[in-house]
Amino acid sequence: MPADTNCPQCGAGLRFRSADLAAKVCPHCGSLVVREGEGLRRVGEAAAVPDDVSPLQLGVRGTADDAAFELVGRVRWRWTDGGWSEWLALFEGGAHGWLSEAGGRHMLTRPLGHSGTRTTVVRSVANGNAVKPDDEGRIDGVPYRVTDARDAWCVGSEGDLPFAAVAGAKVYSVDLVNPQGLCASVQREGGRTEVYVGRFVMLEELAPHGLRRFDDWPLPGWAA
Amino acid sequence: MTDAAAPMASAPATTRALTCPNCGGTVALRAAGLTVTLVCEHCTTTLDVTGGTPKLVERAAVAMRRPDIALGTRGTLRGTLWEVVGYQERTDGYVGWSEYLLFNPYAGYSYLVDDRRRYSLGRVLDRLPEVHLHGLWHRAASHTRFGDPYEVKTDFVLGEFPWRARVGETVTETDYVRPGTMLSTEANGAERTWTELTMLAPGEAERAFGVAPRRVPVSGRPSPHEPSPYADAMKEAVIVGIAATLAVIGVAIFTPGQVRAFRTDLLVPLDGATHTAVVGPVELPAGASRVTVSADAAGLNNQWVDLDYSLTHRKTQASYDVYATAERYSGTDTDGRWTEGNGRASTAMSSIPGGSYDLVVEASAHKWEKPGTSYADPFASTAAGPAAPTEMPVTLTVTRGGGFFGNAVLALILIWAWPLIQLALHMGFEQRRRAPLSED
Repeated sequence: MPADTNCPQCGAGLRFRSADLAAKVCPHCGSLVVREGEGLRRVGEAAAVPDDVSPLQLGVRGTADDAAFELVGRVRWRWTDGGWSEWLALFEGGAHGWLSEAGGRHMLTRPLGHSGTRTTVVRSVANGNAVKPDDEGRIDGVPYRVTDARDAWCVGSEGDLPFAAVAGAKVYSVDLVNPQGLCASVQREGGRTEVYVGRFVMLEELAPHGLRRFDDWPLPGWAA
Repeated sequence: MTDAAAPMASAPATTRALTCPNCGGTVALRAAGLTVTLVCEHCTTTLDVTGGTPKLVERAAVAMRRPDIALGTRGTLRGTLWEVVGYQERTDGYVGWSEYLLFNPYAGYSYLVDDRRRYSLGRVLDRLPEVHLHGLWHRAASHTRFGDPYEVKTDFVLGEFPWRARVGETVTETDYVRPGTMLSTEANGAERTWTELTMLAPGEAERAFGVAPRRVPVSGRPSPHEPSPYADAMKEAVIVGIAATLAVIGVAIFTPGQVRAFRTDLLVPLDGATHTAVVGPVELPAGASRVTVSADAAGLNNQWVDLDYSLTHRKTQASYDVYATAERYSGTDTDGRWTEGNGRASTAMSSIPGGSYDLVVEASAHKWEKPGTSYADPFASTAAGPAAPTEMPVTLTVTRGGGFFGNAVLALILIWAWPLIQLALHMGFEQRRRAPLSED
């Protein structure tokens, strides 16, 4: 249910894309705005995402599992030895998922609402413990192995998001994969632990439109 | 044209120019946002570029080495355009190799690994290989573990990397191979990665990146995942060998054996005039035939028969001559009774052209005069026999054909020479490839 309203900070017109995406970065003044009931609250200033060489940008459309989506938001995370982006994919019908972009590779995941907390790895993360590579974990009945686990912090955000990504917000992020090409991500932020499951994707298989162009790289044939 | 329809005019370039805080040189940053470590291509100073401005991590400490393929070089490999953005040299303590980091904003990263013999294209796996027997199962194929896990140390780093690359970095690597492919896993405490290396055809990488093609040495130690260059030729030769063997066996089975042309009896005067007989005809089919003449003079006792055969073509008078002796001797000496010869003689003529032939036989029979008389043979019938024969009966049998067995053996030796050479080359290659496994 898109809503037309105005930025409480600068008065610019704001349009919330989905009922589930309660946070938005005002494209005009950069205020981080959260919808609460009928009202809007300015949470703070969203740090701008540093420019990077990513083929993705807000407005890119694609198809995954026969459902069309559009990238409407982005959170940029950093850890001591690098960084990655989480792009919010808003699907037809209002569901959302995340297209994670790390080291030039992409994972498409969706939030796993229930059941997540029953598993050892998730419980361990939720209890504030660390996990390590090669640890085994079963999530939603699927066995995985941890490939990396790290502390990270938010360095910027843009667009429509399910939560207000404040710069500096800390997260403990764990990635898992399995032999069938499935992957999972467990993230502990503050007191909350979220579980996402999905798979690695090639950009090509998402049939993307509106990819970012670079004047020194040809757009690949599949993206033209 | 509206503003919204003209986004192309402002398409940015991916490469940014930075200034090295150590040497002041201009350094290209080709994958901003992805790159963590940038090693100055002029002075090898290590920079951290995760933030907005480059931070000096470590001043130049190692001597510069020039990669064969310069940073910034672009090339298309297997349909994707790549740019060389990073270069590192690594070693396992025995042998060293080079790894180029390739980048394309739409395709991510790949590796070009140069073990100084062949190039391989590496890609980080997005799924775990499954444990399978003594190795791994990946892409519907089994990969055998190649040796134990070993330490890999980085010797030299240049350019940019999406991780904290540094000289002296050590990881534990384990390799699994099948011909043409290697699965390598690296672990360094916080992370485990799996990389699939696909061996490129000789010259493929060199052509793509415009460097001089390298000749693959015939000898030397092959790469662990290098396919045997003899495997295909060997398999082909073995298949051809099996087919040819079956053909030879088939021909041997269906080729008629010996056919008797005729048999005749001669009476050869003993110590008399040479007996001449013309017997025939011997009909030979078109092509080359083998003709065998067997003489059997069972009655010989301390006698011999000389036989001159002349196989003469009835029309052309072309003749093929051959000679045989049938003999049999016996006696008693200090060791006891002895005999020599059995009174039979078989002789063959090969490659006789087809046609109608006569066999001209000139036979003469002789007695053997024993030296001295003290060894008189009580069984000898020559002297004391009531009717000592004056003629010796000789039976001649002429056959044609046969003899294919020898040819078949020769054919099989020739047929299998090539497959066996290929097999030996293949096994030699595999032995060299697997040599590092037995040296540990």
